[in-house]
Amino acid sequence: MRQETFVQRHQAEWTALEQWLDARAGNARKARAHRREWHGLPDHAMPERYRRLCQQLALARRRGYSPVVTDRLQQLMQRGHGVLYRTPPPRWRRAVEFLLAGFPRLVRAEAGVMLAALALFAVPLVAIFVAIQLQPDLSSALFDPVQLAGFEQMYDPADPSRDLGRDNGTDLAMFGHYIWNNISIGFRTFASGLVAGLGTILVLLSNGLIIGGVAGHLQAVGHGDPFWRFVCGHAAFELTAIVIAGGAGLRLGLNLIAPGQRHRIDALVEGGRRGGLLCVGVLVMLVVAAFIEAFWSSIGWMPAWIKYSVAAALWLAVLVWLFAGGRNRLYADDGLAPGLGA
Amino acid sequence: MANNVSAHAPSPNSRSAAVLDTYREVVTPEGVALHLPAAGPVPRALAWAIDLAIRMVVLSIVSMVVALLGVAGYGPYLIVMFVVFWFYPVLFEVLDHGRTPGKRALGLRVIAANGAPVGWLAAFIRNLLRTVDMLPFGYAAGLVASLADPWGRRLGDMVAGTLVVHDARQHEPQAAPVGVALAPAVALLPHEQAALVAFAERGPQLTQERQAELADLAEPLVQARGTLAVARLYGVANWLLGRR
Repeated sequence: MRQETFVQRHQAEWTALEQWLDARAGNARKARAHRREWHGLPDHAMPERYRRLCQQLALARRRGYSPVVTDRLQQLMQRGHGVLYRTPPPRWRRAVEFLLAGFPRLVRAEAGVMLAALALFAVPLVAIFVAIQLQPDLSSALFDPVQLAGFEQMYDPADPSRDLGRDNGTDLAMFGHYIWNNISIGFRTFASGLVAGLGTILVLLSNGLIIGGVAGHLQAVGHGDPFWRFVCGHAAFELTAIVIAGGAGLRLGLNLIAPGQRHRIDALVEGGRRGGLLCVGVLVMLVVAAFIEAFWSSIGWMPAWIKYSVAAALWLAVLVWLFAGGRNRLYADDGLAPGLGA
Repeated sequence: MANNVSAHAPSPNSRSAAVLDTYREVVTPEGVALHLPAAGPVPRALAWAIDLAIRMVVLSIVSMVVALLGVAGYGPYLIVMFVVFWFYPVLFEVLDHGRTPGKRALGLRVIAANGAPVGWLAAFIRNLLRTVDMLPFGYAAGLVASLADPWGRRLGDMVAGTLVVHDARQHEPQAAPVGVALAPAVALLPHEQAALVAFAERGPQLTQERQAELADLAEPLVQARGTLAVARLYGVANWLLGRR
């Protein structure tokens, strides 16, 4: 068939589809609301029309029609493809479901890398803590004297201003600081896993050393009480979130090094998808941690036993959530957070 | 990646015959190839620079407002900084059909590698991994990756399964001028026919001299040069279009 005849025969169809895409393809909710006012191509006819268009494009290419025809059809097709295969919008219900069930399931599914991340983080932490108790001078090898003085001053039990805690403005400022600082670190812990996992390993080791070093030093110089009272609450969320972000990063690095029986790029995409989902959970955990750290941990006058019981409850909650969340649901693994689909 | 799309990254040998082109060919479930014109590092870097400038302006405005609040404003400022730093591109890419303001200005768009619109998770991942693309300084890793990749993807794009493409340029389709139809002297192959019709459709937008220059190339076919060759080529195109 000659090009002109072809165009003449199908022109009306293409125009109808174009009009439908202009008017109906944008916002699904708006499209539903205005469906009675629309008199063009009915919505249910669109997939069929789109497939006809694909066939016509294939014909046009095969027969060597000019770019005026093929470009136009290709553009129409691309728009139709975008509408037909767009990801569904995320829903609140699904987001909550992901946090309560999907995220803990995903963490358990990656138990191996999570344990590795935990070891990389906890072993240097405990080791340096114990070492400083035995040999207090060690802390000066880790930090310079100005830093040490800073830590000591932050958690000085003799400082009267600590008894009443901070004022609200400072709390909010610290909240912002924890959001910016801690979540950025969490995200970087995951992302740097792409450097063959080395970045993640470095971040985990150094964080373990620093946290263990600070805790060990403060314990050794006798500032342990205010320090533990401050950190015990938010540590439940913050430390687990760092370990989970580290596990996600290790998974990504491992998929790069040892993709198994897959293309390396496919393994990376899968690692990235899982890591991204884990990072969504890490984001939420660190927001909760920042909230606790800024508005609860900072209250100085609270008796120690209340602080420690709340901390125990928080730790228990986090562990129950991670170990039991989503066990009672029929929840297909590939259906993780369907609304978020990559 | 949407499971209902069977399209898959084609292996290098299945790329289109036009090797010098940066099209990524994706076969859709309907069995038709989509041509996605991948964008290279330069327009992407420019778009990024525009976005950076916008972010800087936003942050400096917020910091001025916040300065009036004193210590209480410091927290909200850091939260705004967090959102602007990590989520500015994610929000724009998902809500504005794959375009941040910078990409919009440069005519770029982020899409999933299978041609579908980019989803929340993919946008989140590709922007998280900027951390690695920035290593060791100034997006060096991303630049090397996008120079090595046939579709100019940086590392974050590869892991997230996304692609930055040029938006199709909107030019009004123009039909070839109607005139006498002239049968070609020899049988033409499909791609030769397509080239002739394309010449007739675009010719009127060129200068007389350029038309003649192009038509001279077809001398063996039309046995003429200059304006006569142009007229004859239009005639052959009309014949091929079916106007006889």
